Amino acid sequence: MFELTVARKHIVSNPKMVLFTVLSVALAVGVIVVMMGLMQGYREEIISSTVENNPHITVDPKEDEDYIYLYRTLSSQIWQYPNVVAVSPRLQGQAGAKYKDQVEGVSFIGADPFKEDSLMNVQDDLLWGDYYELISSRHSVIVGSELAEDLELKPGDDFYLIRKDVKIKVTPAGFIRTGTNFDQTLVYLPLETAQDLLNEGDVVSQVGVRLSDIYSASIITDDLNSRTSYDAQSWQDKSRDVLDLLDIQKIIMYIFYLLIFVIAGFGVANTMIMMVSRRTREIGIMMAMGTTQLSIVKIFLAESLILGPPSALFGCALSYVTAKLIEAYPIEVPSEVYMVSKMTVALTPEIYAYAVVFALAVNFVAGIYPAYKASKLDPVEAIATE
Amino acid sequence: MSNIIEIKKLRKVYGDGVELVALDDVDLVIKAGEFLSIVGPSGSGKSTLLNMLGLLDSPTSGDMWLRGQNISRASSKERARLRNKELGFIFQYHHLLPEFTSVENVMMPLMIAGVAKGKARKRAIELLESVGIGDRLKNRPTQLSGGQNQRVAVARALANHPSIVIGDEPTGNLDTKSSDMIYELLRKLNRETNQTFILVTHDMDMAEKTDRILRLVDGKIVCEMLREGDHFITHDLCELEHQ
Repeated sequence: MFELTVARKHIVSNPKMVLFTVLSVALAVGVIVVMMGLMQGYREEIISSTVENNPHITVDPKEDEDYIYLYRTLSSQIWQYPNVVAVSPRLQGQAGAKYKDQVEGVSFIGADPFKEDSLMNVQDDLLWGDYYELISSRHSVIVGSELAEDLELKPGDDFYLIRKDVKIKVTPAGFIRTGTNFDQTLVYLPLETAQDLLNEGDVVSQVGVRLSDIYSASIITDDLNSRTSYDAQSWQDKSRDVLDLLDIQKIIMYIFYLLIFVIAGFGVANTMIMMVSRRTREIGIMMAMGTTQLSIVKIFLAESLILGPPSALFGCALSYVTAKLIEAYPIEVPSEVYMVSKMTVALTPEIYAYAVVFALAVNFVAGIYPAYKASKLDPVEAIATE
Repeated sequence: MSNIIEIKKLRKVYGDGVELVALDDVDLVIKAGEFLSIVGPSGSGKSTLLNMLGLLDSPTSGDMWLRGQNISRASSKERARLRNKELGFIFQYHHLLPEFTSVENVMMPLMIAGVAKGKARKRAIELLESVGIGDRLKNRPTQLSGGQNQRVAVARALANHPSIVIGDEPTGNLDTKSSDMIYELLRKLNRETNQTFILVTHDMDMAEKTDRILRLVDGKIVCEMLREGDHFITHDLCELEHQ
């Protein structure tokens, strides 16, 4: 196609103009990609910390009941679903811990160590000790690291768990540090011991579920809720507020990207208008030789489009380097406000794809008007231009 | 010899407010293979007439036939096609594309016509050799003299075997030697190929070397001179510019 030949020649003959166009779009692409990456990274961090520290699905008792009685039946029912990798019926409650003169409030979780460890990776978070001791010893417990500190508890020190008129002597089999505020109040017990403490019989207060695909959580909870009268909630239900906020942020960012798009577009359009202006006489001659108006449009559009991919490439390279820099020099973020402790940039293939599309789109849209104006030149006047 | 171009009552009027009549109901018949010139003072309308004949511009009113086909109201696209296939232009200034070499410049009309690159290149080289500049294929216009560039321009005008070659002061920018050389070239081509040549010129010496001289004043043809042998026979009210 001769239009491409001409377009290529134009580009090669005007390296400075080409450079400006490519740089401006590359910069725009770079900024957008990094911003998208930051947003994505933030979202991923929030999700992963939510998902790490909580079960993917929790099933709470029926509306008119305080506890789940038929938890074994419920567990087998849950195991029928795909993607389920752990199901742990747990009995949670409040109690007091007394060691010598220290008394602290405790939130205890009574569960089967095998199941609970599959659910929450308890063993990995232990500072010392063995969670599985709770299987053989009914009075072994795992104590949150900060709770232990507050009680001035040392390994081997027995202490008491008290709830209403029940008082049980227990021995720490390990201390746990989850990195969350659970560490101030958490005590893991064997399920039977917790049931003794609560004195409501063979019941649990919740069934926790872990999945291999976190995004199947809502389908499963919807199904459970429709089939049973238990109250099943996915991790998304529980973090609804945060996720909604992220979605709103996303929309605001899209407006921002649009603005960048427009600004970059003006840069390209400006350069192309200048190109056309410089080549007015040439366009007249081409028309005299029989180039149609459509061909003229094609030539100049081709010129701006050809520059799309290199711009995208530079932009992506720029963003890649920037992303690496951001991650190499950790910028600390106040975790109370942002819920994460560092800035991460997640550059997924989709984001790069957006970048390429963006670069092509900017070049195309910005190139349309100049190309159109070029085709509308009057050949006689154009040839007569100085 | 058939009529290659015929125009009847061709009129071109410019103007917002004050009207300027550039061509005033011009009638003209040109036969295929003619070698004619159009002369006249500045503002006489010769460039306008040339733009009409070259399909670069459309008339305000009147009719024009090209090879018997009425093209007075042809679309922009159709005119572009005809410019590419039937017409070749030689301008006063060579107007070659500055970033392209001689070969590439001559190839351009061929590529616009959709001819494959290889074939186009071959024809371009043939043409450049026929105008005596086969040794300057890879040079850009800035690397060639005025005369050399004009020869490239002639080759380009001939690229698609046009029926009509139009020159607007083709030797206007050249010294006498190059001028003569270009004229000889055009003459030779006219004799060999029977293509019609229409030259606008202000140089009466050049005009008197053609076979037919049309004199335009104020948008009207006021005088026509036809060659007979060594001298001209005048028609209508004419004044010879010099004896």
